[in-house]
Amino acid sequence: MDFVPHDKDAINEMLKVIGVDSINDLYQDIPNDLKINKFNLLEGLSEPDLLKELEKLSDKNKVYSSSFLGAGCYYHYIPSLVDFVISRSEFYTSYTPYQAEASQGYLQAIFEYQSAITRLTGMDVANASMYDGSTALAEAAIISTIITGNNKILLLEGIHPEYLDVLKTYCWGYNVKYELVSEDVLFSKLDGDIASVLFQSPNFFGDIEDVQSLVKKVREFTPKCLIIQVMTDLTCLGILKPPGEMDIDIFVAEGQSLGINPSFGGPGLGIFTAKDKFLRKVPGRLIGKTKEINGEREGFILTLQAREQHIRREKAISNICTNQSLCSLGALIYLISLGKTGLKEIAAQNFQKANYVKTEIGKIEGFKILNQKPIYNEFLVKCPNVDKFIDLCKKANLLPPLKLSKYFGDMNNHALVCVTEMNSNSDIKALLNAAFLSAQKTNRRY
Amino acid sequence: MESNLKLIFEKGHKQSNRNFIPKMDIKGADIDDLIPKTFQREDLPIPDIPEIEIVRHYLNLSHKNYGVDTGIYPLGSCTMKYNPKINEYVARLPGFSKSHPLQEESKGALELMLDLSKMLCEISGMDGFTLQPAAGAHGELTGLLMIKKYFEAKNLKKDALIVPESAHGTNPASAKMAGFSIINIRSNKDGEIPIDHLKYAMDGENVAGIMLTNPNTLGLFEKNIKTITQIVHDKGGLCYYDGANLNPMLGICRPGDMGFDIIHLNLHKTFSTPHGGGGPGSGPVGVKKELIQFLPDPCIISSKKGFRFRETSETSIGKIKCFWGNFGILVRAYAYLLGLGASGLRRVGETSVLNANYLRVQLQKIYDLPYDRACQHEFVLTDKNLPNEITTEDIAKRILDYGLYAPTIYFPLIISGAMMIEPTETESKASLDNFIAIMSKIYEEASSNPELIRNAPHNTPVKRLDAVLAARKPILHD
Repeated sequence: MDFVPHDKDAINEMLKVIGVDSINDLYQDIPNDLKINKFNLLEGLSEPDLLKELEKLSDKNKVYSSSFLGAGCYYHYIPSLVDFVISRSEFYTSYTPYQAEASQGYLQAIFEYQSAITRLTGMDVANASMYDGSTALAEAAIISTIITGNNKILLLEGIHPEYLDVLKTYCWGYNVKYELVSEDVLFSKLDGDIASVLFQSPNFFGDIEDVQSLVKKVREFTPKCLIIQVMTDLTCLGILKPPGEMDIDIFVAEGQSLGINPSFGGPGLGIFTAKDKFLRKVPGRLIGKTKEINGEREGFILTLQAREQHIRREKAISNICTNQSLCSLGALIYLISLGKTGLKEIAAQNFQKANYVKTEIGKIEGFKILNQKPIYNEFLVKCPNVDKFIDLCKKANLLPPLKLSKYFGDMNNHALVCVTEMNSNSDIKALLNAAFLSAQKTNRRY
Repeated sequence: MESNLKLIFEKGHKQSNRNFIPKMDIKGADIDDLIPKTFQREDLPIPDIPEIEIVRHYLNLSHKNYGVDTGIYPLGSCTMKYNPKINEYVARLPGFSKSHPLQEESKGALELMLDLSKMLCEISGMDGFTLQPAAGAHGELTGLLMIKKYFEAKNLKKDALIVPESAHGTNPASAKMAGFSIINIRSNKDGEIPIDHLKYAMDGENVAGIMLTNPNTLGLFEKNIKTITQIVHDKGGLCYYDGANLNPMLGICRPGDMGFDIIHLNLHKTFSTPHGGGGPGSGPVGVKKELIQFLPDPCIISSKKGFRFRETSETSIGKIKCFWGNFGILVRAYAYLLGLGASGLRRVGETSVLNANYLRVQLQKIYDLPYDRACQHEFVLTDKNLPNEITTEDIAKRILDYGLYAPTIYFPLIISGAMMIEPTETESKASLDNFIAIMSKIYEEASSNPELIRNAPHNTPVKRLDAVLAARKPILHD
């Protein structure tokens, strides 16, 4: 394939205007010994042949009829509207809206996204997006050290293990100290030198933390320290009290659950929100409302750019430039499509279905539920034989729950089960049946 | 006066929309029994809106937006080329779009990523790649953390980096995030790195190396590139290549052969994945052999048993993103490369240079061109000598009136009133001629009717907006 529109005549005419004999003459600054003779790549494919190749590869990734896997990436229903809007090429083939007057459509949409996120989270301000939940959390941690002037952060156990790994890498780069602590010892570690306490709720294991009392206690110990919450599935906010009503300073999240395909883990959406008083420390793009210079009409524009790298260079808050705009647009359409009625009911179904499965699986001999706190759509279960359970799920065409041993070496018989509104009654029966059969000792094949 | 804008939130109806809620088919417990009332919210201020209202609202917004599919998008250093539609289609194949990052049966995804890495190695002259970074700046941070790790492993304290003043703003910002201080170098009268300054800067004990864009942001190829990388290597430093401007090099020459040790590529520039209005992008990072050990976790390993991820290694810088990167973007870039193949890629490089030089030669008859020599994929004009004190911003806004998009303006910072123009290889001669005609017309208007230009744009949904007001009184949501 080829997307160059010139024929030979056009090329010759252009060369003549430029005043050279061949395109090669335009590469005169490149030393000859640097020019390559041969590319070790295949020749190009036509569109139908290309499609065949890609379909072959796509078919090698199994798509299950139903999924009980979450752990940071979730299957929720995506309204057809979402793909319709993000497929408008006025949106997806545009660049960062530097020329505001020719980009009012997208600027308004992202302003609406920022508004929808503040409405959903109750926070004062939301930026246009970060790369994903993990980098949003890492940048929040770094910013807390800039705001407080302190250089150490405390991480509460239960944060997604991959988010922790990303956080550690960023902290090492920026020379920030961190300590991973359990809830029991958190308060003994709090002193005037801590920049922030970071926690996830609902956490990686499914627990919904008592955020209000946690915040209250942290404030009692050290008023200066920021409290940063991260979340991996925002659909729970259809019912749960939003972070903005619980005195959270910075709230970040992975927004994939809001109408974005799993796509093998990316692109997702990094959501970044904060209290108003931290506005000028917020990383990334912000869209603001303004007026015409010589007129009365209102419009939208990239604003507070003095925080950003293209103006401030090494003094910028963050290096982020390109973000995940189109995913923000998708998340906006998701929220608007569902509306409050839909969002509440989706959250209710997730609560009800997951808790139902949790109760039922807990009744099967050999299975033990480990969550002590309320859960949303994920829970942790110790299995009699996790490998057999996983295998039987696959046989029933179910994408099985996560084996915790992937992240935690000592949890070798544990599974993290995710149940959403997408799992029908019959899917749930099939899962419970797989669990039941996996507990049977008679089947020697395993 | 009634506001000209209606936000989606103003379209609420009492009628609730239940189209997207699956039928509840189990008997669930009462919500209050599952979660304490004090943990629940009272109000959720997201309106219920009928589907047709949503479609019309966003369709109308799309009409107020400009994309590559609308017309030429000559933003310098942004490589706004055509985004082939087949790539959008294949990225949505269920095996790609519906697969979970933690599922075991994902051979197709791994094979694609491994194959893409190999192609990127061949194109750039590097030995290994990570596909995890989500964007160019994220790639920069990843590459610079590898430089940090490299020197830590050698037990050397090297915490400063040389960055030319003409560099993209992300370069110094990324360097700071990786814990480096910046040594600025100003380009010489040819728009290139001054060799004597570089030598002097590299004498510093703590200098880790240099970040460079080649062709640079003036669109010029650094003729002395091999001398530059040699000087840095002789002092034990590393050379980082910002791949934002790789497009004209495709099939012509390779950063790896120029002597670069680390490189990031922007799949959303050179490799035609759509910008999406500012993302999602993808910024893979390539390295030479001796740096492979520092690549972020996980790496894909191919063995007799097939493909798998190597989760962690002792020497790696660690993880830089959850899961495996912006996979959906990788699919599009992979499809682009398979479609183009070796000769298609070379044609991309060559035509991007042809188009830029054609515009340069035609436009320098009218506008000031500070560096008068053959350019690569882009070139920089200025507002020097414009009549009636018309500025670069005025020109940019007037271009919008003619239904086109404007160049990158006021960048690079080293040129006063810069207009940085990159047409890319996918613009036809007719499209380029149209752009030239409009730029000539605007120049005439600058003489004959300066007020018209000073108050531009006139034909856009809104007139020139007040950026100062926006920053002074920030309104960031409804």
